[in-house]
Amino acid sequence: MKSIRLFLLLSLLATITLVNFVALLHGYQSSMERAQNLFDSRLESTARLIASANSEQAIQQGIAEQQTPFTYFQIWDSGGKQLLTRSRNAPEFVTGELSEGFHEINFDSYRWRNFVYRDQHLNRWIVVAERIDVRYSLAEEVVLESLLPIVIAIPVAALIIWLAVGIGLKPLRQFADQVRGKRADDLSPIQLERVPYELMTVVSNTNALLGRLDDAFHREQRFASDAAHELRTPISVLKVHLHNLKQRLGEGDEDVALLKAGIERMGHLIEQILALYRTSPDQASARFEAVDLYKLAQTVIASDFVNFERKQQQISLDGEHAVISGNRFALETLLQNLLSNANKYTPTGGEIRVSVRQLEKTVELKVEDSGPGIPAEQYQRVFERFYRVHGDRHDSGEPGCGLGLTIVSHIVDLHHARIQLGPSSLGQGLGVSIEFPGEN
Amino acid sequence: MLLNAVIIILREVLEAALIISVFLALSQLLNRNLWWMLLALVLGFGGAYIYAVNLSTISMAMEGTGQEVLNAVLHSVIFLALLIFMITVPHQRHQQWRLINLVTIVLAVITAIIREGSEIILYIKGFIGIPDLLSPVLMGSAVGAGIGLSVGVFFYYLLVNMRKSHGIWLGYLILLLIGGSMVAQAVEFMIQANYISATTPIWDSSHLISERSATGQLLYALIGYEATPAPQQAAAYFASIGLLIMAAGISFIFRGKAS
Repeated sequence: MKSIRLFLLLSLLATITLVNFVALLHGYQSSMERAQNLFDSRLESTARLIASANSEQAIQQGIAEQQTPFTYFQIWDSGGKQLLTRSRNAPEFVTGELSEGFHEINFDSYRWRNFVYRDQHLNRWIVVAERIDVRYSLAEEVVLESLLPIVIAIPVAALIIWLAVGIGLKPLRQFADQVRGKRADDLSPIQLERVPYELMTVVSNTNALLGRLDDAFHREQRFASDAAHELRTPISVLKVHLHNLKQRLGEGDEDVALLKAGIERMGHLIEQILALYRTSPDQASARFEAVDLYKLAQTVIASDFVNFERKQQQISLDGEHAVISGNRFALETLLQNLLSNANKYTPTGGEIRVSVRQLEKTVELKVEDSGPGIPAEQYQRVFERFYRVHGDRHDSGEPGCGLGLTIVSHIVDLHHARIQLGPSSLGQGLGVSIEFPGEN
Repeated sequence: MLLNAVIIILREVLEAALIISVFLALSQLLNRNLWWMLLALVLGFGGAYIYAVNLSTISMAMEGTGQEVLNAVLHSVIFLALLIFMITVPHQRHQQWRLINLVTIVLAVITAIIREGSEIILYIKGFIGIPDLLSPVLMGSAVGAGIGLSVGVFFYYLLVNMRKSHGIWLGYLILLLIGGSMVAQAVEFMIQANYISATTPIWDSSHLISERSATGQLLYALIGYEATPAPQQAAAYFASIGLLIMAAGISFIFRGKAS
């Protein structure tokens, strides 16, 4: 069943048509029988009328004036030997038999129904006949007139059923529209103007499910924020102890250096997991605003400039102001991750180029570096969670957890943008190009 | 007049509606696209019109037996389409078989509409110059078509709302009976055209179920009921059903081996 509305329309219409038309045929047959009876009694009355109109013993001989071509009459003497009078179109011979009652005869290429009446008083036979096809047509004409509305009513019924079923299915359509129109982060209950009995269970169970999902999301949110807070604090404490240890053992101690790298890696991992969570489409889609990507890139470069300076890297920002509709925090995270990757994998003294350009309908953000780049066959895989080029034995020696580009791809999806990896225009290295839909 | 029109139109519409509804239902049960039905309907009605317009030329052909021979051919084409359909259904996984299967469905529907539609057009056309008879004929045609289409709708929804396997089996069964009826009618046309000699009917059940009654019409469309069949008709009917069962069975047994 592809459509409930179509099913109801066709099955109801087929039922109505079948029942009505079978009843119509039955009605037609019985009406036709009644009409034939009526015609018969008219024929009988005509015969009696002719008898009473010719009550004199001596009737006018010859041919009576023609009344209608579809009927005729004859008056025969008692033996049926002499035709006393007849209508103009009547035969001059006895058609059928002269016995009282109704008979069907053939005359003048037509089938006729006659009534033979015996005038007991004058001892004569009166024959009155009528063409059967004309009787039938007349009866059919009358009966059809009364049955026509039943046939015409079918298309009208179809229209009414279509509209009625549409109204009946309105709550279901509203329900479907509300479910379809829900944003990823909208877990509010579905509310219908009126909930029919058949939909009560569906609506109440769906709302209960949405409620449970909402609770689960809130729990997850609370857990993430609590966990971040709880994990950040001991890491800060660890950093203080590390500082003290460094004072005691001296800068050059190998164990202290390893401990420092481990703590930094853990801190980075926690921040990235939090960013991944915050930028998932379920969480961030609601807070969109107009963001100048060029200005945002300026801010992010400025705040992270110390990292580029440390590695004596040359960073530049080209292009022009371009506004897109987006989530400011998410876009900031995207830029931070792209720039952090460029910073990490570009060797000391290398070059990083950021550009923001307003294209015809889109805004392009490009981050290119002069690092070792990524082999083309790994372009897709780098977006997977915890995937790192060359695995854990990455030769950059930089702390990383393999979540950076996964977060970037989340943010790209969130903004309905397109991301493309390719070679950098700086001779070697990676070029990341993202096309955002322009603000309209 | 109305009753005659009802019976004649009901007979034609019921047969076409059954073929179309069973194929529609089977297509849905076998997860096929339904776009072809629109195409088949348009082509079928176009063909029916061309047939009706050229009837006199067709009738004069083959020493005056052209119409009977063409009708016999149309019925045979429907039977062949049913035969190929039943053979190809068990091999739905192969693209080529699926295509052949779809073509046979389209062919069967087009041929059925040409055959039944041309009869309807010819019948109504015959009354266009007679205003007294046209209105009962038109009304009778509407009633006959309404009843026939309603039965088709019921069959379609009955098949698609049954358990899938039951729906497919019932659809198959109806197609078997339609196939037998098609061949029996083809033989009847060949008897009318004197290509097969007429013999006395092997039975006469008109006193039990008249061919002109509503039940008779439904049975005619459903199982090819004839009150007075010639021995050749009965033999063709049962032989063709046997052939369809055998072909479908063999195809089902070898469904995994064909490529």
